Amino acid sequence: MIFPQGATTRTEPATVTDVEYDVVIVGGGIAGAIMADQLNRAGQRVLILEAGSAEDLTLTGYEDYLTRFYSAVSKDNQSPYPVNPNAPMPRSGDAQPITPGRPDTSSYLVQNGPFSTDTTYTRVLGGTTMHWEAKTLRMLPEDFDLATRFGQGLDWPLGYDDLEPFYRQAEREIGVSADVEDQAYLGISFPPDYVFPMKGLPLSYLDQMVAQGVDGTDVDLFGEHFTLKVRGFPQGRNGIPNPAYDGGKGFTPVGAVSTNQVEEGGRCQGNNNCVPLCPVQAKYHAGKTLAKALENGVEVLAQAVVTKVNIDPVSGRVSHLDFRRYQDPSSAEFVSGKVRGRVFVLAAGAIENARLMLASSLQSSSGLMGRNLMDHAYLLSWALLPEIAGTMRGTNCTGGIVDLRGGGFRGRQAAFGIDIHNDGWGWATGAPVTDLHNIVDSQHKFGPALRNALVSQVSRQLQLAFMIEMPANPSNRVTVDPAYRDQLGNMRPVISFNIPDYTMRGAAFSRRLASRIFERLGAEDYTTYDPADPGYISYEGHGYRIRGGNHLAGTHVMGTSATNSVVDVTQRSWDHQNLYLVGAGSMPSIGSANTTLTLAALCFKSATHIVQQLREERAPLTLSAR
Amino acid sequence: MTTPRITSLEQLHSYLEAALQLEHATIPPYLTALYSLHPGSNADARHILRTVAVEEMLHLTLVANVLNAVGGRPDLTKPGFVPRYPTRLPDGEVDFEVDLQAFSPEALTTCLNIERPGEAPGNTPRVRQRTAGQHLLAASPDEPGMQYYSIGEFYQAIDGGLRYLHREYEQEGKQLFAGDPGRQITPEYFYSGGGEAIPVTDLGSALRALNLIAEQGEGLGGGIYDDESELSHYYRFQQIQLRQYYQKDDEPGHPSGPPLEVDFNAVYPVLKNARLADYPEGSELYAAAEEFNAGYADFLAHLTRAYTGEPPALLEGVTRMFRLRDDINRLIRNPLPDRPGVHAAPTFELAQ
Repeated sequence: MIFPQGATTRTEPATVTDVEYDVVIVGGGIAGAIMADQLNRAGQRVLILEAGSAEDLTLTGYEDYLTRFYSAVSKDNQSPYPVNPNAPMPRSGDAQPITPGRPDTSSYLVQNGPFSTDTTYTRVLGGTTMHWEAKTLRMLPEDFDLATRFGQGLDWPLGYDDLEPFYRQAEREIGVSADVEDQAYLGISFPPDYVFPMKGLPLSYLDQMVAQGVDGTDVDLFGEHFTLKVRGFPQGRNGIPNPAYDGGKGFTPVGAVSTNQVEEGGRCQGNNNCVPLCPVQAKYHAGKTLAKALENGVEVLAQAVVTKVNIDPVSGRVSHLDFRRYQDPSSAEFVSGKVRGRVFVLAAGAIENARLMLASSLQSSSGLMGRNLMDHAYLLSWALLPEIAGTMRGTNCTGGIVDLRGGGFRGRQAAFGIDIHNDGWGWATGAPVTDLHNIVDSQHKFGPALRNALVSQVSRQLQLAFMIEMPANPSNRVTVDPAYRDQLGNMRPVISFNIPDYTMRGAAFSRRLASRIFERLGAEDYTTYDPADPGYISYEGHGYRIRGGNHLAGTHVMGTSATNSVVDVTQRSWDHQNLYLVGAGSMPSIGSANTTLTLAALCFKSATHIVQQLREERAPLTLSAR
Repeated sequence: MTTPRITSLEQLHSYLEAALQLEHATIPPYLTALYSLHPGSNADARHILRTVAVEEMLHLTLVANVLNAVGGRPDLTKPGFVPRYPTRLPDGEVDFEVDLQAFSPEALTTCLNIERPGEAPGNTPRVRQRTAGQHLLAASPDEPGMQYYSIGEFYQAIDGGLRYLHREYEQEGKQLFAGDPGRQITPEYFYSGGGEAIPVTDLGSALRALNLIAEQGEGLGGGIYDDESELSHYYRFQQIQLRQYYQKDDEPGHPSGPPLEVDFNAVYPVLKNARLADYPEGSELYAAAEEFNAGYADFLAHLTRAYTGEPPALLEGVTRMFRLRDDINRLIRNPLPDRPGVHAAPTFELAQ
């Protein structure tokens, strides 16, 4: 994918101030990129305001990320992305245990607790899709009626069938590799003859080893019977294009984004550091969509952090946005600007969208702005397999168990999906670096003995990550407080977060299931949870460490009325007729699906509504003859 | 019209076999230059060398498709398939040799020579008497004394032969493209490389495949960009020489894009045209070089399988290429014993 030279620097702040754009989008992640591309194709003049740096999507910028990642001591999911005090972001090492009644203010997210989350999102051009793992699960039909069916959380104002065509659009945009026969389960349906753009990626050797122990395992939950099976995940990374796609037209995978042709990323190579960054760009990131949009004339003003959404007191519509533009990430100096538009789209992610609205004193007439903050609760279990299983080969995750994503038990305990991690204990213990340190420092091995010890230790590692659902709860929320600001003077997000018993019941069950799976595999369980770690929770006499899922959602939920939600089914603000808040923040539930595919589908849907609104509002008034 | 140089199926096969050999022969010098770059340095040159090498692999695949389509059998394991470097390519007036060497101004000149534009200047004859030389690429396979001015012209001869034989076969009610379609490499198994693998089933697809090779390589007809708006290899390399990227509408020789940085010092000084005999027998280095050569021979055998009925084998080839890369790096990162300032390199000497 060719990135037009200079496209992210060609728009001057002065130009921005002079023009009334058709659409102004805040945030250049996947939601903003899709909206920009779609609206531009429909003939609208579009500006993206991006808080991060502009040059990051050139190949040099991308390779700077890689170099930073390679040289980083901690390979956490934000390690490639530079520290930018003008557009700060949470990092997974930030979280600290919270003393009740004393918020942890030591890092960008101010945490009120009681739960201290190590969740993250990435504030660079391309957003969190730069570091995402690229799992692209659809939500289950039952996930859309969580309150009605199970008495948990919130219902959506639309159903699976309404979103299905947009799921297909999102799968095309992201370039999903999967096989329909693996993905049609628990009510997930596809139109007849549908195939994914690319064929499913093969299960790793590790997956196959695990499948030997898992397949056919019976689980009984509150009288309901389930049989487990390891199956492949749909993934936003390039595999073998399916010649049957699009009625036989096939699919052309999109490789690396660069101003010059580089012939990289056309196919996943199994480098196994998808998170935090695919070295060859075989993994989809929003830069691929942005490159297209920029080629077609979308404008970007980077290093421009929006500070306020301004409302016309008479019409209730957004009149303009205030932004601060910095030259140098390390300097607090900035130039202020205003931008006008006919329609405004906030696409900065669940936390930043809500933070910006609240910082603009826009609570929503429902009072729900920033409330219902959701994330997946991850529980890790790790063990050593009896024989070498090829761990560290393949992408981060190729297969898992999805049979307990749905079922009648959701009236009592949370559903979950299970990931088999091809990167071993990386997330749990920092493997393989920690293994290396241990073998060198404690076992004093070197040369071939070191190599052999490392292989025998690492390639037997099995880590199961249980991704557990968390229903919407208004008391889990984002707020702002003038006492906490970033370098540019923007109020930082303040998080109040608690893991409900519903989710913890799912966690406790997950832990028991992991033990059972390890037993069946003859694997030695190494799982321990340290009470000193952030995210440690005691539940019914046992301790667990819950990790953040980086699947933040729910802060501006969609619903059926201005009293029960912030946005309507098109993601338009109930209060402000020319304002759309888009992304996972609009989702009333997240089930056990990673949020990106669903939020992308919602954006394709919203784009059609925005185009319609702009056309209607632009149409000349017809005066009645009578 | 003039009589084409290829008038029989046997001739066509031998030309296509030579083409296979030719496409492959460019890969070892490009890889040696590529992996001689210090990690983290010369990002621009690294991408250009890498892209061209990837496209040469596409060309190899396209030639295999054409050869399979006309009933031939690609064989990358034939004795002598891998040339012994230095090897020669015809160069009109002055012969030049293709060396395995570190990234350097000389290596760059070789790259430019290999990819030189197709048209011989003025009215110079297309096929000329060959001067004394060693191993010859782009030499006429059935007239050992003759050579082509450039790779592009060599492909024009194949193009002419395909058209001629297709017509002849048709007149006799026979089918030139009678090869097993199951041997064709389709885009499912190979993509990336500035174009897709074109399955060859008839004259049209055969000519498209050859045209893609010619356009990507040398930019037939003087244009710097091809139909897919892709810069040809010659001009890609020229960018390194001129320290500037081309952009749309530039004239040949006058790139006006962003600057391109080159650091010839950030390169491992590998031994030029290294031979096993350069490494002390019984040394780890010797063993590593031998291991690489054995791995490379295996890889060519693997490709041969992929090209003769097992297209999915190409997918597994990726892992093998990683192993080859690691083996090359192992050699290139090591200095030669007793030869300060000189590093080892893969020798590409295959026991064939």
